[in-house]
Amino acid sequence: MKSLSKSQVPFSFGAPAMIWQVLFFYLPLALIVISSFIKAADNGLIEGLTLDHVTFFLRPLYLKVICSSFILAISNTIICFLIAYPLAYFIAFTAKRFGNLFLILVIVPFWTNFLLHVYAWFFVLDKDGFLNILLKGLGLVQDPVSHLNTPFAVIIMMVYYYLPFMVFPLYSSLERMDVRLIEASRDLGATWLQTFRRIILPLTKRGLKAGFFLVYIPSFGEFVIPELMGGDRQMFVGTVIADYILGEETGALGAAFTVLAMVFMLLSAVVIYWIIERFIPGKSHG
Amino acid sequence: MGKEQITADGCIAANPALPEKTSETGLGWRPKSGALGRLGNLILVASTYLFLYVPLIVLLVFSFNTEPFPSPWKGFTWKWYVELFHTAPLWDSFCNSLIVATSSTLISLTMGVFLIFYAAQGGRIGKFLNLFYGNVIVPETVLAVGLLSFFSLVCIPLGLTTLILAHTVLGLGLVIPICYARFLELDQRMTEASLVLGATPFQTFFKITLPLLRPALLATGLLIFIISFDDFILSYFCAGSTSQTLSLYILSMLRSGISPVVNALTAVLLILSSLLVGIFFSLKTRTRIF
Repeated sequence: MKSLSKSQVPFSFGAPAMIWQVLFFYLPLALIVISSFIKAADNGLIEGLTLDHVTFFLRPLYLKVICSSFILAISNTIICFLIAYPLAYFIAFTAKRFGNLFLILVIVPFWTNFLLHVYAWFFVLDKDGFLNILLKGLGLVQDPVSHLNTPFAVIIMMVYYYLPFMVFPLYSSLERMDVRLIEASRDLGATWLQTFRRIILPLTKRGLKAGFFLVYIPSFGEFVIPELMGGDRQMFVGTVIADYILGEETGALGAAFTVLAMVFMLLSAVVIYWIIERFIPGKSHG
Repeated sequence: MGKEQITADGCIAANPALPEKTSETGLGWRPKSGALGRLGNLILVASTYLFLYVPLIVLLVFSFNTEPFPSPWKGFTWKWYVELFHTAPLWDSFCNSLIVATSSTLISLTMGVFLIFYAAQGGRIGKFLNLFYGNVIVPETVLAVGLLSFFSLVCIPLGLTTLILAHTVLGLGLVIPICYARFLELDQRMTEASLVLGATPFQTFFKITLPLLRPALLATGLLIFIISFDDFILSYFCAGSTSQTLSLYILSMLRSGISPVVNALTAVLLILSSLLVGIFFSLKTRTRIF
């Protein structure tokens, strides 16, 4: 755009998107933070600032909730990575001409309402479901039990839903990789493991980081899957937030817990991001 | 931060020079990982696809069973599909979802095009662009909570309007990073040629830039539509009690127990989403969304 160094149209063309973003994204977020520190009087007026809402949650019960959300999110991310990597590798390199078809097969369920996936898993995990029929047929189980409302069901559903979020970024970074590098590494005598660790993994680090964010962050706040698949046995961050926010007159507490959980989530994400940076060789901007 | 972030959130608009090289050698190339390794990879991949599709297939089979779920196979029937098409509240919520998804897609695309128009006329939006990356870092639950308290503060009654407002935020987070990245990749010589040959900047935008961006815009629009149509979390918080979207209706059906009508609905929606995926891939856009 050398011929046009200065804008010829007013800023108002670019403004609507930015105003929208500030008004309906940043303002609501600021509102959560503010309302969690505000002490409201009975008549609805602001009385002053308070830390009561935040300290209310500094108890073992709620710290345990944050911890279980962390464990759920991190195990979901790791399992997704372990399943997604071979799949993305297969689609990018082995599937050849049918790569697109296999990619479409990953997208189709992903583009269907995810509550219906939850529903589909009822048929597999139920007492009379497909899994038990299979296990009985193999003679592994005599007395089938329902797998619904167990941590197993929660993690299965989480992985099922979040897998594509890990597959797509890994696939795009694998697909853009110069395969001659792998050939060179193999020709020069590296073993398969060495090639993976020192060539492929560093070159797909960017996809790995993107996948980590796309899976870890939403699964930290997830509340539908634990509720539908896990019954009410275990509380997660999302469940507590939804309960307080939608409850009567507990909005400020809900906001405070949201802030607390967000801070913990971002801190843990930064730490894990640093671990990925530190322990996977290669340039950070590869 | 700009370009790096675009890829970091998984929305990759590839550097035009790179993929050509890799796709030429890459597609016909098979990694030499040894027969055992290849077999292992195949088994892993096959079980992943089984994992993805077995629940759906079981579900589809039961949508044709004459008796509801816990009973084994009794016989073939279409009656659940007939019942599905006679469930009026379901189609009301389906229409609501269609309205919300279409409007939020159109609004966010329009605002995105305006922003890119401003950039194409030489406006500098580089640093403003960072505004739109926050959408990836903030979980949807948190955004929903914030929007709910915002709407109640400014007294906007919850309903379809609030849903459209909320879903447009999701749309903006996609359309602006993706389409702006695609815009930066366009061959600048084309616009320069157009300007040198006497077209006004306005004509250049509508005759050159916009047609070149069309596949990217269509693909992003389709993605926003799907995300909005299937969205649950924002709808759960911001829909209020009067307007139900399809997701909320499905949730109420799930809570009331297993019904073969939901199986039939899944079959219908799977066909719809396969069609949309088909359209998406036929756009042949270089802008890869993921």
